[in-house]
Amino acid sequence: MAKRDATERFLPLKPAAFHILLALADGPRHGYAIRTAVEELTRGGIKLWPATLYGSVRQLTNAGLIVPLEGEADPDDDARRRYYELTALGKRVLTAETERLRAIVDFAQGTRAVAKA
Amino acid sequence: MREAVDSWSVRLAARVYRLCIFALPGPLYDGFGQDMQDDFRAIARDAHDRRGGVAVLSALLRAVLDLFGRSLGERLQLSDVAAAKLPLGERMQLLFQELRQAGRSIMKRPGFSFVAVLTLALGIGANVAIFAVVNAVLIRPLPYSESERMVWIQHHAPGLSLPDLESGVGTVMLFQKFARSYSSMAAVVDAASNLTGTAEPARVQVLRVTPALFDVMRLKPIMGRRLTEADEVRGAPDVALLTYRGWQNHFGGSPSVLGQVVRLNDRPTTMVGVLPKEFQHPDWENELVVPMHFDPNEGFGAFGIGHIARLAPGATIETAQAEATRLISRLPELYPDITPEFLKKAGWSVSVSSFRDRLVGDAKTALWVVLGTVGFLLLVACASVANLFLVRAEGRQREIAVRFALGATGPRVAATFLSESMLLGISGGFWGLVLAYWSVRALVAASPPQLPRLSEINVDLRVALFAIGIGAVAGLVFGLMPLPMHLRRSLHGLVRAGRGFVGGRERNHVRKSLIVAQIALAVVLVTGSGLMLRSFANLRAVDPGIRTDGVLTLGISLGDEVSKPVAAARYQQIVDELNALPGVQHAAATNALPLNSSGINGGSFRIQSKPREEGALPPVAMYAIITDDYLPSIGTRLVQGRAIERADHEQNRAVALVNQTFARLHLGGNAVGERLAFGEDSLTWIEVVGVVEDVRTFGLSEDVRALAYLPMTTHVPGARIGIMTAVIRTTGDPAALIGAARAAVKRAAPAAPITSARTMQQVMDRSLADTAFTMTIILIAALVALLLGAIGLYGVIGYVVSQRTQEIGVRIALGAIPAQVRTLVLRQGLVLAAGGVAIGLVAAVSLSRVLESLLFQVETRDPLVFALVPLTMLSVTALASYLPARRASNVSPLQALRSE
Repeated sequence: MAKRDATERFLPLKPAAFHILLALADGPRHGYAIRTAVEELTRGGIKLWPATLYGSVRQLTNAGLIVPLEGEADPDDDARRRYYELTALGKRVLTAETERLRAIVDFAQGTRAVAKA
Repeated sequence: MREAVDSWSVRLAARVYRLCIFALPGPLYDGFGQDMQDDFRAIARDAHDRRGGVAVLSALLRAVLDLFGRSLGERLQLSDVAAAKLPLGERMQLLFQELRQAGRSIMKRPGFSFVAVLTLALGIGANVAIFAVVNAVLIRPLPYSESERMVWIQHHAPGLSLPDLESGVGTVMLFQKFARSYSSMAAVVDAASNLTGTAEPARVQVLRVTPALFDVMRLKPIMGRRLTEADEVRGAPDVALLTYRGWQNHFGGSPSVLGQVVRLNDRPTTMVGVLPKEFQHPDWENELVVPMHFDPNEGFGAFGIGHIARLAPGATIETAQAEATRLISRLPELYPDITPEFLKKAGWSVSVSSFRDRLVGDAKTALWVVLGTVGFLLLVACASVANLFLVRAEGRQREIAVRFALGATGPRVAATFLSESMLLGISGGFWGLVLAYWSVRALVAASPPQLPRLSEINVDLRVALFAIGIGAVAGLVFGLMPLPMHLRRSLHGLVRAGRGFVGGRERNHVRKSLIVAQIALAVVLVTGSGLMLRSFANLRAVDPGIRTDGVLTLGISLGDEVSKPVAAARYQQIVDELNALPGVQHAAATNALPLNSSGINGGSFRIQSKPREEGALPPVAMYAIITDDYLPSIGTRLVQGRAIERADHEQNRAVALVNQTFARLHLGGNAVGERLAFGEDSLTWIEVVGVVEDVRTFGLSEDVRALAYLPMTTHVPGARIGIMTAVIRTTGDPAALIGAARAAVKRAAPAAPITSARTMQQVMDRSLADTAFTMTIILIAALVALLLGAIGLYGVIGYVVSQRTQEIGVRIALGAIPAQVRTLVLRQGLVLAAGGVAIGLVAAVSLSRVLESLLFQVETRDPLVFALVPLTMLSVTALASYLPARRASNVSPLQALRSE
């Protein structure tokens, strides 16, 4: 029950936060890579401009959903960049949010207006 | 290390973004400022690579909006992880509501809105107008394909007193033979010819070119054919192409012009083509283009040929320059007379520069200075509008508090402010555009006729976007500036709306800084205009060596084809006719009108009493051809000896006059009686009979050079009298004489075209035009800046006084005398002003250096200007703070307490 509360507190996630978590689901990325990943995933629909991106990153870090990686960097890339990865809590929140969204999608697809493809 | 190769738009955007980042609250800035900058640069780069400079601008706008929005959210401590969100439709509705409310709110304060929009419109309008000029003249490429690869080759021989020398047959040959940096090169010469066989005989400017010019400029005729090498061959039938202007002027734009035969300098010439409208150059205002018969055997010396080339693939201006410098040392291979010693003595060098730079020439510095000036003006305007917004925000504290109390969220309140300020900013941009549209026309009319590419200036879409863009950004910044302070305060001490928010200290701090900045900017502008004013005054104070009042000048062209004795006789007839006109005191003619030396010749000469030493460079002088009555006509004095007399011609005496500089430089002061020969092998020795006061032949700002005056009848090799200018001194208004003078010329020489009719005063004004233009713009900008600065200071001090009314009342009640109160307030104003003046002076000292090349006989740190500017500024600001000070000292204690 306590665990459930820990995730519920964050739901529903803001789109920016959700997409950042999603972008990190496959492994650590740095800020700019998060931006490009989100842009790609949403086919250009969501662009995380720097202030929003790092504002969210800071809050997600403070909330304990993601953590910056210490000292590990892709050798091909700029050593200055910091990489972030999901924490266990972050993974659970992402899963919970996805569940929540799935429930909504399932419901929507059951209605007459939104026929299942 | 990609930073170096980023385009300027990316670099500029990155810089702007970096400045904006300071708006972020501390933790976010400290933790992520660098990351954000790096990311933004990557974003801008990406935008640039994909869709060019406009995309960078749009990315910048969105990133800055994001930045400010975020910084607001952070300050309001909104959560970004989780939050409920309004659906899109509802948000649109809200936005619309905000805009409507913003419009209403703007209408409710017509005074404030009017002043804000007007100030912005002034600043933006001035910038847009000047930007339109700069865009047309300096930024937009020439209308030729790959025009940036077109270069101009020029020579310099300071050792021969020829700092700038167009190319000559010899140097062109040299390049044609050895240069590898060019895919094509051409020679051009500008000349005038008589055009007959058309509706009306005319004197036309003709550009003689080698056919390769069509390759260099990638020029395609809009009708007919280009010139080919076959046209260049000596003995080929004479053909010509018309420029667009020539086609309109002489053939009314008729399409049947091809194949028509006209007479050019009396030779039948067939029209074979018409050039496009874009073929237009400031010093090639030609109507006809004809093939040049380039004679490689002509020898080294024939200079005055324009040398234009197109860089070969892979070559750059730098590599071409390096090659050209190497080539010069190979001149002796082609011309054995040219020894390495001669080249060394002459200080011979060559420069390869972009064709556009050469077209734009001196106008470049002046234009950038003017653009910088109006840029400063815009900053001043923004500072004063920012101040207005701060003042108004004060008045709305209570409204905000109430809105919060009624449950409005921070972003919604912020949105209200933003939509208002954006609306104001955009309308400022709009009216600025309108203003610019009108002033561009005025500018084009007022700019010096020498300004290149004048005809290309207009307000296009890019310029319009620039205006609206500035307006929007300005509005955004003004709207956001007071926000953080507002909202933070409003959140904390919310409905303590009793006395408003007393803690105005922070805001006053911002306002005071703005005032200091405004005054500093005004100081820079006033200093600049002071320097330009002094320059202008110095120019006006230059003694031209002539008396301009009552003098009319007429350019008369007989053409170079008429033999010299015939031309001389004809000009003498014209002068005699003019002399006979009623009201004419003296009339004469010259080929070198003072202040406007287009027709002047020059060359080396020998002095009989001082044979030249072996190997020494020959002395060089200019010579002007004159008729007898020239000195009294132009109003210059004979300082020694006698003038040229009729008896000299009758007895075939070869005589000359020299100017004071000539006498001093070449004849050791004792000129009268010396004998000179012009040209290297001339056997005619000419006796100097008099010395004439120095006259500014080349323009007021140019140094006087050695000049000899020769009568028209004396034969000097190379002296041309194809175009002479009649100089007519009258007792009355010279302009009123134009009609009669034209008729007199027509009686004496019916076929001779009159090329110009101007009073000498107009000639003089024209030589002042460049300086006058720059000065006027800086002066206007400085006055506006001064006014805005003074109003701003008045506003701030007035506000401080109104805030302290109660305190002042108490002081007076306790026995303070009005003079003390006045001093108190006045001192506050003067402290601010002094701060601004000090900062402004420091900035002016370093910035005035850019004016250097535009100044005439004024140091960039002219002590007079730097003494007067602070005095002026302090007096104006003293006045601006005296008015509120007087009001303060009139406060009655009773009133003060009641205002509580």
